[in-house]
Amino acid sequence: MIGKEKALEILKKVISMSNAEQTEAVLSGGKSFVTAYANNYIHRNSGTEDYTLSVRVAFGKKVGAASVNDLSEESIEKVVKDAMLIAENQRENPDFVSFAKPEYVEINEEAGFSEDTANFGAMQRAEAVKKIIDAAKEKKLNATGTFEVEINELAVVNSLNVERYAKRTVASLKSVVLGENSSGYSKESAVNVKDISVERVLNESIGVAEKGKNPSAVEPGKYEVILTPYALAEFISHLGYLTLNARALKEGSSFLVGKFGQKLLGDNITMLDDGLSDETIPMPFDFEGVPKKKVIFFENGVAKGVVYDTLTAYKEGKESTGHALPQPSPFSPYPMNFIMEGGQSSVEEMISHVEKGLFVQRFWYTNPMDPRKAVITGMTRDGLFLIENGKITKPLQNMRFTESIITALNNTVELSETKKIIYDMVPMTVPYARIKDFTFTGKTEF
Amino acid sequence: MRDIVESALLSAKRAGASYVDVRILEREEEDISTKNGSVDALKRSRTKGFGVRVIANGAWGFSSSFRLTPDEAERVAAEAVEIAKASSKTKIDDVSLADIEIYQDRVPQKVLINPFEVPVKKKINILLESDKLMRIPGVIVRKGSMFFSREWKTFASSEGAYIEQERIVSGAGISAVATNGKEIQIRSYPSSFGGDYQRKGFELVEDAKFLENAERVANEAVALLSAKPCPSGRMDIILKGSQLALQVHESMGHPAELDRVLGEEASFAGTSFLTPEKLGNFRYGSDLVNITADATIPEALGGFAYDDEGVKAKRIYLVKNGIFVGYLNSRETAKKLKLQPMGAMRAQSWSFMPIIRMTSVNLEPGDKTLDELISGVEHGILMDTNKSWSIDQNRLNFQFGTEIGWEIKNGKIQDMVKNPTYTGITYEFWRSCDGIANKDFWHVWGVPNCGKGEPMQVMQVSHGVAPARFRNVQVGVLK
Repeated sequence: MIGKEKALEILKKVISMSNAEQTEAVLSGGKSFVTAYANNYIHRNSGTEDYTLSVRVAFGKKVGAASVNDLSEESIEKVVKDAMLIAENQRENPDFVSFAKPEYVEINEEAGFSEDTANFGAMQRAEAVKKIIDAAKEKKLNATGTFEVEINELAVVNSLNVERYAKRTVASLKSVVLGENSSGYSKESAVNVKDISVERVLNESIGVAEKGKNPSAVEPGKYEVILTPYALAEFISHLGYLTLNARALKEGSSFLVGKFGQKLLGDNITMLDDGLSDETIPMPFDFEGVPKKKVIFFENGVAKGVVYDTLTAYKEGKESTGHALPQPSPFSPYPMNFIMEGGQSSVEEMISHVEKGLFVQRFWYTNPMDPRKAVITGMTRDGLFLIENGKITKPLQNMRFTESIITALNNTVELSETKKIIYDMVPMTVPYARIKDFTFTGKTEF
Repeated sequence: MRDIVESALLSAKRAGASYVDVRILEREEEDISTKNGSVDALKRSRTKGFGVRVIANGAWGFSSSFRLTPDEAERVAAEAVEIAKASSKTKIDDVSLADIEIYQDRVPQKVLINPFEVPVKKKINILLESDKLMRIPGVIVRKGSMFFSREWKTFASSEGAYIEQERIVSGAGISAVATNGKEIQIRSYPSSFGGDYQRKGFELVEDAKFLENAERVANEAVALLSAKPCPSGRMDIILKGSQLALQVHESMGHPAELDRVLGEEASFAGTSFLTPEKLGNFRYGSDLVNITADATIPEALGGFAYDDEGVKAKRIYLVKNGIFVGYLNSRETAKKLKLQPMGAMRAQSWSFMPIIRMTSVNLEPGDKTLDELISGVEHGILMDTNKSWSIDQNRLNFQFGTEIGWEIKNGKIQDMVKNPTYTGITYEFWRSCDGIANKDFWHVWGVPNCGKGEPMQVMQVSHGVAPARFRNVQVGVLK
């Protein structure tokens, strides 16, 4: 790892080499390891260390960017020259005002960091995976999945006196257990690898695969559903780029255009982004060095706000909320610590309230069919069950759904108290949800 | 580079590896994107590093680093062996590789116009002139993008391979998003999600004739707002170029990947219905359907000289006269099924282990013209340009949406229709194919963003297709 002192030294060197009116230097990267297993053995096991030094320079409203992963003196000099050359050949961007202005807010540079995770080695990952494999073998099942560990550093310095550094760790253990005609899924992610329970992961995935044996088919149509946090996060994750950001608002592709202050969703729907919450995998500032601010998207169903980066905020005379992705990016700004508030129910209570419906362990391959209406299609996967008279009665073959997120959040009648961090590039913290009239439009053969 | 290779090979062998390969990669990229009359992003990036893949104790290990020095190569190779030894804790059988011919070769890539020598201003001008032409009432977002990359890759193995190859890629596209306040519609050219990509130089951009097409793209986006909704029901469809390319990609390319078939991708990308007992006897499509995997096509995005195991590029049939006859494979998976390695192992970059990827997976041309395909439809839809896609993890149930469609009645094109969608089961769909356009309509579409693997890798692949007709397909799922 590079460490704070060296990282800031590199970035300050960039600033000193630039003749531009404004300069921003970002160093991000670190180590990552993935132990992948399938057919009850580790079949792919990899590690890497890499960094990206990204430089942006501005001459007036002309902005150029260049990046490199070679951190030698010569390479740093070249990347600064590249960025300046690009900016000089650039057209003016009328939306550009400035790189991030400093905000003198204390941050915890290690809020999302754990030494335990940083020191978790290949043999420890293999031992954890072996426990899952052994348990699956005992039940004559086939264990597949991954144990991933990331140790990242992010440092930002710009010529306006922004200077930030933080390090972060994420550990994720995933198990997909396959039976002859069933499968089960579980995944846990945490800052500290010790917060991951191998037993919980193997019990959930094996349990679902066992319950799912010999599924039968039901016809597509509207069903009341209980979505696990895995399924709910996969479904509503599309809001992040379709709706809940200032770019989508400006482009007119968000359904929130002209609707702030209006009640668009049910009373029970409160959704926000909070990079400093202990309910997420924290991140104290964004890729422009702006400290994270809590942004409420919906409060009791009322539309409140979206996330901003400097490009979208300064143009409107607003403050960035600290949601810039690595720049330049067509997906920035983006909610990187999405949290959906839960309710008071237990999962068992929620199931008991369903007369006839489906329990969905996981959705898969979801994509928007109609972005403005947030209509998403996708498949169920790794556990689909029929609920009758308040009880899970039998496993089902997978089905395709086509449903609007807005409609579904309006039809959400119950949320669990339990929430779970679902980590897939960024963390989303969501509960179980009971949703009425969820539309299934097709079925498959397994 | 030789010193890094030598250091890695020696270190891994010393630590106990029975097989070692080293990949060193240097890549330069340029990304330009414009939006609503201004340059949204303009960036150049460079990356270099190396990866060492080993078999030790009969199991795989891989490590990689951005520090390109012999000392680091020694450390990384030893770490790869340590990782392999951890893998071996769960080993069932020793990893075994099919034999291949070993090559020493150097393969530069020729292009007509080096994209990195074309001034940035010229590139921006083309995109902004196109943007200007798309500026018509109703259009709210006008986008354009160009992408260029150049890489030099060295592959060496403990079996004696030493292969260097160059790869130059260009890509470009434009799109217009229109709204009437109630809905949005999009049209893209020449394809959606960034346009078309090929292993070509800047000539790709010049040949695309953006200025001649920009106004049409904008007009079609606006016209879609008042077009009638695509009808629902079972009917015939004709898929044009880029949409058919994605259909091949999702429903033939992925299910033919032998790692998926053998369960190695089950926890993420999924498995496949094309299980080994079907090889050589399963009717995947009608007699007309011939699908090849061909990495030798000049300029195809999925092409190359050698894959990342040092296997020389090949052309093989995956489907011949409708029968499923071949897999995309690796040395390891080929050995398991007693097949010949066909060269489909590729890694996104130096920091990833190679996995089985599509090369250029192509629907071979038929003998019809597009007009002949249309004239054979009593009632159906001609669909073009992908808008959405989804398919189950066994690659059976799919659902696609396209940007635009035209109703066909009594063999003639009628009204434009919006939000066309169709759904089906893979083999039923391909069995319903009763006409494919001829080689004059054939184009190899680049797909630069195929995601697979853990850690996730994005790969450049391609699909040669000509428009094709499918009978009695379920059309329309959106109300």
